[in-house]
Amino acid sequence: MKDLKDIKNRAEKEVSSARNNETIRQVFQKYLGKKGEVTLILRSLKDLPEKKRKEIGKLANAIRQELEEKITIKGRAIGAKVERNKPKKRIDFSFPGHKLTTGHLHPITQVEREVEDIFQRLGFSVIEGPEVESEWYNFDALNIPANHPARDMWDTFWLRSNQKIPISKFQIPNKSKIKNKNQNLLLRTHTSPVQVRYMEKHNPPLRIIVPGRTFRYEATDASHEINFYQVEGLMVDKKISAANMKAIMERFFEMFFRQSAKIRLRPSFFPFTEPSFEVDVRCLICGGKGCSVCSKRGWLEMAGAGMVHPQVFKSAGLNPRNWQGFAFGMGLDRLTMMKYKIDDVRLLYKGDLRFLEQF
Amino acid sequence: MLFSYNWLQSFFTGRLPAPKKLAELLTVRSFEVEEVKRTGGPARISVRAPLTERSVAGKDWVLDINVTPNRGTDCLSHLGIARECGASAKLKMKNEKIKIKEEKTISVDNFINVNVNNSSDCPRYTGRVLVGVKVSSSPKYIQERLRACELEPINNIVDAANYVMLELGQPLHAFDLDKIEDQKIFIRRAKIKEKVDALDDKTYKLDKDNLVIADSKKVLAIAGIKGGKSTAIDKKTKNIFLESANFDSVLIRASSQKLGLKTDASLRFEHGMDPNLTELAVDRLAQLIQETAGPHCYAKRCRRACPQSLRSSAGRRAGGKIAKGRIDIYPKKTLSRKLKLDLGKIEGLLEIKIREKEAVRILNSLGLETKADLTVKIPTWRPDLAQNEDFAEEIGRIYGYEKLESSYPTLALIPAKRNDDIFWEDKIKDSLKEAGFSEAYNYSFISKRIGDMIGAGLVELKNPFSEEFYYLRPSLILNLFENIQYNIRNFSAEKNIKIFEIGKIFKQEKGEIVEKKMLSGVMAGGPESFYMLKGIIDSLFENIGVSDYYFDEYQATPEETSFNFWDRHRMAEIKIGGREIGFLGALNFPALLKGGKVQEVFAFDIDFEVLLEECSEESEYRPISKFPAAGRDISLLLPEDARVSEVLNIINASENKYIKDVDLFDFYEGSELPEGKKSLAFHIIFQAENRTLSGREIEAIMAKIIQDLENNLDWEVRKSA
Repeated sequence: MKDLKDIKNRAEKEVSSARNNETIRQVFQKYLGKKGEVTLILRSLKDLPEKKRKEIGKLANAIRQELEEKITIKGRAIGAKVERNKPKKRIDFSFPGHKLTTGHLHPITQVEREVEDIFQRLGFSVIEGPEVESEWYNFDALNIPANHPARDMWDTFWLRSNQKIPISKFQIPNKSKIKNKNQNLLLRTHTSPVQVRYMEKHNPPLRIIVPGRTFRYEATDASHEINFYQVEGLMVDKKISAANMKAIMERFFEMFFRQSAKIRLRPSFFPFTEPSFEVDVRCLICGGKGCSVCSKRGWLEMAGAGMVHPQVFKSAGLNPRNWQGFAFGMGLDRLTMMKYKIDDVRLLYKGDLRFLEQF
Repeated sequence: MLFSYNWLQSFFTGRLPAPKKLAELLTVRSFEVEEVKRTGGPARISVRAPLTERSVAGKDWVLDINVTPNRGTDCLSHLGIARECGASAKLKMKNEKIKIKEEKTISVDNFINVNVNNSSDCPRYTGRVLVGVKVSSSPKYIQERLRACELEPINNIVDAANYVMLELGQPLHAFDLDKIEDQKIFIRRAKIKEKVDALDDKTYKLDKDNLVIADSKKVLAIAGIKGGKSTAIDKKTKNIFLESANFDSVLIRASSQKLGLKTDASLRFEHGMDPNLTELAVDRLAQLIQETAGPHCYAKRCRRACPQSLRSSAGRRAGGKIAKGRIDIYPKKTLSRKLKLDLGKIEGLLEIKIREKEAVRILNSLGLETKADLTVKIPTWRPDLAQNEDFAEEIGRIYGYEKLESSYPTLALIPAKRNDDIFWEDKIKDSLKEAGFSEAYNYSFISKRIGDMIGAGLVELKNPFSEEFYYLRPSLILNLFENIQYNIRNFSAEKNIKIFEIGKIFKQEKGEIVEKKMLSGVMAGGPESFYMLKGIIDSLFENIGVSDYYFDEYQATPEETSFNFWDRHRMAEIKIGGREIGFLGALNFPALLKGGKVQEVFAFDIDFEVLLEECSEESEYRPISKFPAAGRDISLLLPEDARVSEVLNIINASENKYIKDVDLFDFYEGSELPEGKKSLAFHIIFQAENRTLSGREIEAIMAKIIQDLENNLDWEVRKSA
């Protein structure tokens, strides 16, 4: 027993004083090797009486384990030290890094997120609506009667009339003014139907924006597509004015383009707003002097807007005497094209990775 | 619509702003002016030149003005636009009365008899007769003004009718009186299969949706749209009947759409013309023809009635005598309406303070009469004005929207509601982006060719755009595949093209249209792509907190169509809690590479709306065990059709709470193994929460697992360690 403790003490000392690999290897051989001191004791156990064998065996094994551990740890420490003192190979920092290949989000997604973020900060909730729409929500409810030339402002994709949408999709609460449940169906020409859909279910005060895909039956060129994205805005309360609309629009453009934006309101006509406005932004490129981006006008046409027409409130079952508000609509494609200086809208729908991977 | 600057100027004694300035002014006060063009005359003439010089025949400017549909009644005319110019530029318009000289001895009733079948189709029909006209070409100033507005001069009668239409907005038509059978005119619906040879040298088949002007034998004109050849003015024409009518706007629009014929007349009628304008217009036309189309115009005394420029084109006049009286069938008179101006309402809408005097001045300048009590008389040519919101627009725009200052609303502080659908959509897009997928936005349409291959269940358009965009897309996969096909030629084969889209698809199920948002992705590559996609779905679901999902054998459903783009042997269903939410697998059609080679395409297609219901942000911390984990490996020799899931099921079935994880870490199939066998090796992690597991405990569990595995007679555990 005493021998063992003695061995242990000696071994530990030798381990701690070892300075190189060779020494530590020798220590290992001396105590734990084939003819090592501890090994020999363990081998001799079988000649001992039972009781003693158990007692010494347990102790010897514990010492062996402990020593093994210490030697290993010491060996690593020496190794690390040796490694540290070696002269190091220089890294060629100019060698290309290993890049992680991530994908790319569509530029409209990125712009839509930014628009949503700005309006949410201004207290507008984001709402969506269906792309297949009934004639009622897309036109009649918005004060665009059938057989009126105003309808020509929206070239429409109509669905074959043998197809129906489930009645539940009409969302007809009792107050809905919808008369003919056998509606003609179409691809929505604007996001404005959601104004009525939303107001049927929610009483003012309200502040929403509605981003989404819209459709027009028209020849395509660098600035026209048969499907495109709009964002609609609607703010209704007791006393919302056109001046409030101007302030909100101005703030939005400032936040979006990250520069001060001067806006101009021009008279316009939309059947679902009165008065109606075109919202122009002072050209961000030339500052109003006139350049190719603004076609020498000095102003960029960015949105249509106006005060919600009393007829629209009626369509949604609200009393126009009680509420006042504004609505606006703008093209997300146009905002995207402005932001990234894209000159052809068709690039957005081509799925060309050489285009998509730039964003 | 095109407007002549000189013509607009002729309504004023004072001077209008220069053409470009006027265009800018109209743009911010009335309508957008698209373009200002020089026309006729020498190219170099200063805008600053004196008025007289500017209006020298031939030198003019044309303004292309976007008249909005609500103003079609009054502003598809120079008079209407001049009124807008006057209000905006604060200029007073001349007040010229039309004077016509009727021939007392002859009465219109002696020449013609008019019958209107249904006054709702034709609320008013007005006409005059001129006798003894001489048809020739028009005076120069008329020709020039017509040309400026892109109308081709024809002869002095037709030109005069067109001129007055451009001047006042009222479409007019001149008939050769002697060609009208029985001196009788009927305004009626066309009979089925009735035809008319129109002035555009085309024959139109008519039906009951077309209103016509007819005599007792034939159709003379398509009412409000186009005149007929049978009563056309020609060189021999002596006596004429002038029509100035008001037709129902909806009827004319439908009639024009049905014939596919849009004319200057139909454009105006479909906007709804003012029935009270017909009388003025027909008199103006008679006056103009008389001025420009009669032998007596040679007489000295007539000179004063002729415009100055006319004197220089002597010999063009053809005169004529105006028969006394008018035809005028107007059973139900349209009266002007009255509306009280509510300045408070207007101030509330615009948030600009406008003095009452100023508001009244503006309304007056637009031709609206006001009384001291602020009752406004709305002329019948302004049917668009019906409420104070409309007055707000009129007053606001003429006052100047630039004076409207931004002001923030005062509101209760209601925070925006988070839209969970959009939140998760963003998160899913980000996750796929991290996994190397790029996002595409494809058309909502598919081609006729592809659609016809798919067959049933497609949503069809009444007016498809083209063969290429024919049906609504029933799946995102089709266009995504096209994306792969398009891009694969532009990139090297090593690039694993990965594209995804989130968008709406459209199907018909039991006669009802289903519009559904889908999440789909495609990837070009070898067989390993299946497992890459599967792994991407695993990490996507982990990111959005979907845990209760698994991949299952594909089960054909009864409602499935014969067209299937999945390779049934190399696909799986994705399920959440027993509900199928999508598919993953190889597509039946490969992408074609250059040189005739093909590349396989793999895809996933997930019902986005169902997936949203399963997304969860909830997660909870579990304490990290203080006790060490131990690992054991196990290697199996299995028949080649055995599945990993079968092994995992058995290992996990032992339900030992100490098994923390099981991983497949090696897979081998090849010559060193017996025929029809494969080797799988798993790493099993054991850990307890409250103590260190002893080697003996672990071995016991392993023994049990091995025994369970080898219960399958053709399974062999090769070794475990």
